[in-house]
Amino acid sequence: MYTERGQNNMSKSNNGSAIKKKKHGGIVELKSKYGYICVSPWIFGLIVFFILPIFQSFYFSFCDVVLTTGGLKTSFLLFENFKYAFAEEPNFTDYLGMSVGKFAYSFPIIIILSMILAMLLDQKFKGRTFFRSLYFLPVIIASGVILGTILGDTNVASQSNTDASVASEMINVGQIIEWAGLPDTISMYFQSAVAGIMNLIWNCGIQIVLFISGMQSIPDLYHEVAKVEGATAWEEFWFVTFPSLSRVTVLVAIFTMVELMTSQTDKVIKLAYTYMQSQSYGQSSAMLWIYFAIIGLIMAIVLLAYNQFCAKKWD
Amino acid sequence: MGLKGEIEMLQKVLDFIKPNNSDPSEFLKRYKAKKRILGFLIAVFRILVLSAIGYVVIYPMLSMISVSFKSLADFSDPSVLWIPKHFTLAHYENARIALNLFTCFKNTILYEVVAAVIEIIVCSFVAYGLARFDFKGKNLLMFMLILIILVPDQMIIIPKVVNYSNLDFLGILGLINKLFDTSIRINILNTGLAFYLPSMFAVGLRSGIIIFIYTQFYKGLPKELEEAAWIDGAGLFKTYTQIALPSSGVVITTVSIFAVIWHWNDYYLAVMYMNVTDKWPLAVRLSDIGNQLAITLAIWGGDRGVAATNAACVFFVLPVLIMYIFLQRRFVKSIDRVGITG
Repeated sequence: MYTERGQNNMSKSNNGSAIKKKKHGGIVELKSKYGYICVSPWIFGLIVFFILPIFQSFYFSFCDVVLTTGGLKTSFLLFENFKYAFAEEPNFTDYLGMSVGKFAYSFPIIIILSMILAMLLDQKFKGRTFFRSLYFLPVIIASGVILGTILGDTNVASQSNTDASVASEMINVGQIIEWAGLPDTISMYFQSAVAGIMNLIWNCGIQIVLFISGMQSIPDLYHEVAKVEGATAWEEFWFVTFPSLSRVTVLVAIFTMVELMTSQTDKVIKLAYTYMQSQSYGQSSAMLWIYFAIIGLIMAIVLLAYNQFCAKKWD
Repeated sequence: MGLKGEIEMLQKVLDFIKPNNSDPSEFLKRYKAKKRILGFLIAVFRILVLSAIGYVVIYPMLSMISVSFKSLADFSDPSVLWIPKHFTLAHYENARIALNLFTCFKNTILYEVVAAVIEIIVCSFVAYGLARFDFKGKNLLMFMLILIILVPDQMIIIPKVVNYSNLDFLGILGLINKLFDTSIRINILNTGLAFYLPSMFAVGLRSGIIIFIYTQFYKGLPKELEEAAWIDGAGLFKTYTQIALPSSGVVITTVSIFAVIWHWNDYYLAVMYMNVTDKWPLAVRLSDIGNQLAITLAIWGGDRGVAATNAACVFFVLPVLIMYIFLQRRFVKSIDRVGITG
């Protein structure tokens, strides 16, 4: 029966060609309409709740927006909001510099630290599950709201409003420095360094989990080959583990960037939110767009540099 | 005698300087001893480093608990470090009043957790379509997925608030208003719909990452079962609910923990959607705890303020912590099997 059909087609086709013309692209194309069914609510959501607001936000940053009871009144001013953000708002450029600087140094350190911790946690030893759960705890506990509250960003007057307060309670560096007889400036430096390290470690939780999962998907074969060929642990890391982690590293980098940008203790976003809550939407839109444009530029540079220099192009 | 004796002496000196490695059993013994000592040192080093960093990690939690139980006398007592001498629950009482605990807790569950559950369900369906089917425009959608992960919520929150205060898809309502000279206005701020509506269309809080995790998982599922179901005549929904969903217990555990944690800790969205203090979820209320302590209890900072703040933080963290403690074994195992990393 099967061959009969084939022969029939061959005899019916024009030009006597032996190739049967396909009417559709096969089962894959026939099933594509199911793909559309699955994805359709998401497409609607993307258009209404994502793409449209992005354009609106861009438009708002050029206007003076007033929300009246009748609706929305926008009056177009060209670069007024941007000029206001840079020139007249006293804190904006300071906060911008601080935030961008903090982002610039936190980003590589978090990735490297997470990789090191994941290497330590990947080996089999007795307390492994306990330590893994421990390192994931900051994701739950030291979330934005809690960190902001503990580090004194609320109106609780007696707490000093710096990271250094918690750091100084934790490891009393000041006393050690005094005991060692070093001058006071070194003590301040150490306190801020310890505070910075604490902040970085609290931001590492999910990245460690992702790295561990990436490391466990490296086949044992590679490690055995490395051992047979006599590689030391250092060489094994750089030639076996690290290249296989390139995809995970991109994932972790994207995740870290998003978390750092939108963290609770970010001063630029707080400033923009105070403007938002006092209903001056245009100015806060402008501020947010400036901030995210700068960070987006840094992200794009990092990703392009990574593509050029590090990513091996064999898939 | 001379030459042989000298050769023996030379042999002895050489043996002294460089031990005879050609003897296999002795080499093995030395190798094993070296490995054992090195392994022990590495284990000690590892435990030290992990414990040191673990101390940094867990310090806020321990400090929160310890401070919240201290009585006022213990604050000025320099000999009390971690364990307070007089336990008191007064700070918890203050925190409960300042936080308006039951109302805010109910708000959080009603708004955020329900939105999280809706998001988990809808995103899995969307990701199944993205992972299993090939259709025109799929590359564009994958690009939009990455875009939706990268663009932070704060950038689009203002237009969203403006849109929600006057909800109008495609201008239909404005058209109706003009034609029939009515003034209907849908305002979904301060209601739950502001949370549910985006989640129902899979663009809620951090839903890009959730869709991504699901997509990676579904790509890793073997196709044979689903193809068998298609051949046997199951349609889209039957295949999805009978084959794909039961196999995805692992990824649903992972995604639920992430989604609930993110929604529970959500501050930026809730503070803009809810203007009325009574409808605030717990996260927003906690971030304003200084004001609330002053308003409701006339505590203006100081030791009582600090202790009450810490007690409030413990209240905030406790439900999520309990959920995590119950699910953590499954979660730590499931992360390995989800295959996020492809």
